[in-house]
Amino acid sequence: MALLDRRNRRKAANALFVTFCTGAAVLAIITLFAILFSLVVKGVSGINLDIFTMSTPAPDSRGGLANAIVGSVMLCTVAMVGAVVVGVLAGTFLAEYAGVNRWTNAYASVVRFLNDVLLSAPSILIGLFVYYIAVKPVHGFNGWAGALALGLIAAPVVTRTTEDVLKLQAKQLRESGVALGAPMWVTIQRILWRASQGGILTGALLAFARISGETAPLLFTSLGNQFMNTDMTKPISNLPAVIFQFGLSAYDDWQRLAWVGALLIAGAVLSINIIVRVLSQEQKRS
Amino acid sequence: MTDSKTEVYESFVEEIPADTVKLDVRNLNFFYGKHQSLHNVSIPFQRQSITGLIGPSGCGKSTLLRALNRIYALYPGQRAEGQVMLDGENMLDRGVDLSLLRARVGMVFQQPTPFPMSIYDNVAFGVRLYEQISKADLDHRVEESLRRSALWNEVKDKLHTSGLGLSGGQQQRLCVARTIAVRPEVILLDEPASALDPISTAKLEETLVELKADYTIVIVTHNLQQAARISDHAAFMFLGRLIEFAQTAKLFDNPRASRTADYITGRFG
Repeated sequence: MALLDRRNRRKAANALFVTFCTGAAVLAIITLFAILFSLVVKGVSGINLDIFTMSTPAPDSRGGLANAIVGSVMLCTVAMVGAVVVGVLAGTFLAEYAGVNRWTNAYASVVRFLNDVLLSAPSILIGLFVYYIAVKPVHGFNGWAGALALGLIAAPVVTRTTEDVLKLQAKQLRESGVALGAPMWVTIQRILWRASQGGILTGALLAFARISGETAPLLFTSLGNQFMNTDMTKPISNLPAVIFQFGLSAYDDWQRLAWVGALLIAGAVLSINIIVRVLSQEQKRS
Repeated sequence: MTDSKTEVYESFVEEIPADTVKLDVRNLNFFYGKHQSLHNVSIPFQRQSITGLIGPSGCGKSTLLRALNRIYALYPGQRAEGQVMLDGENMLDRGVDLSLLRARVGMVFQQPTPFPMSIYDNVAFGVRLYEQISKADLDHRVEESLRRSALWNEVKDKLHTSGLGLSGGQQQRLCVARTIAVRPEVILLDEPASALDPISTAKLEETLVELKADYTIVIVTHNLQQAARISDHAAFMFLGRLIEFAQTAKLFDNPRASRTADYITGRFG
């Protein structure tokens, strides 16, 4: 009798737990689809050729988002190039060279700790920091500062994934390269990086998805520009800042453009996530 | 049974003619940090022959092997003292170029470790590091290495596909091909067949027996039958010490140390 009792209680507890888990998952999915749904409903109607060919307009006139799209692509590209170079090299140091002696070991612990702090630092702080080192001294908002701020957000992600992926590689893969007479740096570049490229790429794409929607750090650095500008030493327009400005405005056409911009970012992030999934699937298969 | 730490070991080492010795280990001590794992090991390796290292797990076979190409130097805290004489030069000396040493003393590991690149590039990898040779010569070298490791017929039509797509046994022979492509003088193998099925093992053994015409081969194995089948000399190690080194037939049929006899008859280990 007691045995049956206990079994029923266990079953009930299990059912309760499963219900909570399922409920939480459903809540998350509903929220996600609600966001996507409202984006599509309010954004799709505004998409036309003007969006990609004309710059942001004054209220009540014709215009598009071309300057913001070009600006966002430029800022993110420059930021990612910098973040990948720094992140991959730093991650490689942490994974491969930290153990050389106790000084490198101590140094690596500090770098790893600071990287983790940076990884979770509020992006507005990074914006403020870059404002003080790259905007105030030159007396003007500029594209380089924006790219620097975005790069500072992306680099820790790349560093962390590179270190993790390299550490997953078998010890014997390292040893086999070295055993053929290859110096360690050749072994790292030709064998370990290649074996880890899927994982490193995943990390880089996730970092890209993260910075493509960052607004706060850009308001302090690149600000925005209502005209098409590709000069990195001047303020450069970008989608998040336009959404921020237009979305809060009182003009219907500006609000419509903000919705289109939001849809474009969401679409880009979504496609990047899908690409990452497909790439990592292929990595597993090979 | 006496306490193993205080027990005095006697090594029985059979002499081999000095002019046939390729690699001569003398009084080798090895340390993992403060822990000493090889004690005064002295053992000669004869050229153009296979020497098998046997003994229970943790006896120091792999440690000895890893001292011969100084692969241990990748790990801070591991060090070797004594002499590893390769053609009369001590490879443990400070000034030795480690990359060059490893090009002369190749190594094949327990787990097959194909590089994430094509079969062709796997074999060409080491060659490209040290030699600038024409495409035709490189093609020839790759083919020769794959033929000698008995893999050519299975891969000749897919040289430019990934080496990761091969079976375990094929991958291990690819690793052998990759090692001999560099034309080393000595080949070290660390339990190369332990991850392979019996058919792949037999093929690998055949390959090794053919290769010994040109190389000095040292193989660590857990498999006594394997040591008996392919090695010319055998060394039995126990607790970081060399107990007995002799011609394989002698060591198996007529061991001089009682520990060797116990081990090969399966009384322990």
